[in-house]
Amino acid sequence: MANQKTVTAAKEKSLLEKLGGQRFIVLLVIIGLAIFFSIMSPNFRKYTTLVSILDYSYYIVLMSIGVTFPLITGGVDLSIGTGLICYSLVGGYLISFHNFPVWAGMLVTVLFGVLIGCINGTLVAVMDIPPFLVTLCTCMITRGLGSIIVGGFGITWPTAVQPGGWFRNIFKISVAPRKMLPIGIIWVLILVFIMSYVLNHTKVGRYTIGIGSNKEAARLSGVNVKFYHVIAYAISGLFAGLAAIAYSAVFSTVQPGTGAGFELEAIGGAIIGGVSASGGAGTVTGSLLGVFVICLLKTGLPFIGLQANWQQIITGLVLIGAVLIDVIKKRREAK
Amino acid sequence: MNKKLLAVALGATVAATALGSVAFAEEAITANGDYTFEIIVKSYQSSYWQAAVKGIDSEKEALGVTANSNGPNAESDIADQVQMLNDAINKKPDGIGLAACDQEAVLDALQAAKDAGIPVVLFDSGVPNAPEGSVYSTIATDNYGAGATAAENLYAALKDKIAAAEAPVRIGEVNQEATSESITSRGLGFIDKFTELATADGHTVAVTGNEYYVNNCKEAGDEAAANIIIEVAVPAQTTVELCATEASNILNKEDVIGIFGSNQVAAEGILTANGNLNVLGSDPETTVLAAGFDAGATIKAAIADGTMYGAVTQSPLAMGIKTVDVLTQIANGEEVTDLPTDGYWYNAENMDSEEIAPNLYD
Repeated sequence: MANQKTVTAAKEKSLLEKLGGQRFIVLLVIIGLAIFFSIMSPNFRKYTTLVSILDYSYYIVLMSIGVTFPLITGGVDLSIGTGLICYSLVGGYLISFHNFPVWAGMLVTVLFGVLIGCINGTLVAVMDIPPFLVTLCTCMITRGLGSIIVGGFGITWPTAVQPGGWFRNIFKISVAPRKMLPIGIIWVLILVFIMSYVLNHTKVGRYTIGIGSNKEAARLSGVNVKFYHVIAYAISGLFAGLAAIAYSAVFSTVQPGTGAGFELEAIGGAIIGGVSASGGAGTVTGSLLGVFVICLLKTGLPFIGLQANWQQIITGLVLIGAVLIDVIKKRREAK
Repeated sequence: MNKKLLAVALGATVAATALGSVAFAEEAITANGDYTFEIIVKSYQSSYWQAAVKGIDSEKEALGVTANSNGPNAESDIADQVQMLNDAINKKPDGIGLAACDQEAVLDALQAAKDAGIPVVLFDSGVPNAPEGSVYSTIATDNYGAGATAAENLYAALKDKIAAAEAPVRIGEVNQEATSESITSRGLGFIDKFTELATADGHTVAVTGNEYYVNNCKEAGDEAAANIIIEVAVPAQTTVELCATEASNILNKEDVIGIFGSNQVAAEGILTANGNLNVLGSDPETTVLAAGFDAGATIKAAIADGTMYGAVTQSPLAMGIKTVDVLTQIANGEEVTDLPTDGYWYNAENMDSEEIAPNLYD
């Protein structure tokens, strides 16, 4: 994360940084929250609650893995939330109304995500429009487009008992009556592992970080900056597409017009997990952990009996806290 | 309240003196001009509103008038809707149809519409404090009555279990928010009716949870002394996911025997929560009974297979049609009154019947 700085200050590397820096703090926060909620609410300790938290986390984690890449380039992707709903609506529509096999609907869902990601990337990298503006526009476009394509109606992907309902078992299988196994977490962890590798050990990853820390230097050293910039957004789109499948598998009806706000949970998770708000630094595992902080709060706060408004206030305070850690860390590094 | 009584009295007088004239008027509506109406729904979020828009679109074609439908992305986008309402007023249409997301936020705009001489017809949700003379007619499900209908049916099914219970029992209620007239009325209608029926049978009831509902129900009771606890949950945002989390929290409690979700999002949230908990069913002795509201493919399937005990449905299609009718009548210069529409209880037995099936949209 702080590789560039630690080259000069290797000897001063603190115990905290050895343990993984902000990720370690976030992990402690997760453990702390889990213990706190478990003590405060006996129902929070139940196995089914864990399954629910995982169920409701998959789509945010997947979005967060993807959006980590544009964030590290110093940009952002605001289109992933409404995009997710749009891709899911289109895939589900083809399955329900045009007799597409479920796998084909899923493929269209993911490819649609990649397409929008490429459009975002091209507008940002080639046309040089600020990422905030580009993705805000595609956010609006996908929101409207999803409604238009399906005719404004909510779409239900096949339920578990219907033909084609097998895809729901990707994320959760029933091993006995009332016993669900949340296997989705395995796929999520595999994807986190792969994308961590991509970010840290491949050209795509190194150049993504390069664009975020010093775009001009990357360009001068002969990197095809535009190409790799587009790739970062394509990855974000790809994972928004995967998130769309996770969302469709967990929830029953996908409603047009929704999805705005999902992206903030994914981006918030990434920032909590140590992705620098100004680009150039971040990890995929950090984003994963950051999202779990948000998901724990979303489930835990209602379980301890906190009313709606307080839930929002506390989630906001936690986000400010995470950004403050980032700012303080940067200041200390600058000294 | 007095105004409502007056309206009822007036309505009764009109009905007594001119029996059948309402029916006649409904059949014989014609537009005496090239009218343009602006109609704003609560959101395009649920198929419910799409059914209303369908009604609006079919009736505007039948009458040959122009009706532009619009609506915010989510029912919680209150400011967006107020903006749309102000834009609609600036277009100076012959009338405005409005399903208000928030009863207080639209008050200034309603005054502006009145000052501009634009008649407003409210549908789905009423605005109790609307400036006098701004609203010409309210076309809405009697939401309070519809919530009470859910309570009557759920109580009837749970009555014996409550009577036999040795320890206090819990009834859950998930409302997606605490701001709109329709949701709050349904929630309060359920609470008040359930309390009334239980009290009549000698039970004591306490209402806990969300402050709005606890403070506005008829009798909140004392939790320590009650043998029936009605727990009301409202999520931080109107998403299925957060409704599901709130529902999980209630359904996890050992003493819960019934739960009510007061609209499509809340009812689907309950079903999503049940996906992991697997506690719902139609047998009060062994399972928790859930009552929903509205329809949609998911709720219909859950009721058909017995996961959900039953639900209350409205007729959004008819509401959309009536809104265009009433706007046209006002533009024609005809007198109009409030039109309450009914909520119907449906379950696995009657959902395919002629009276119910047309109201159950996907």
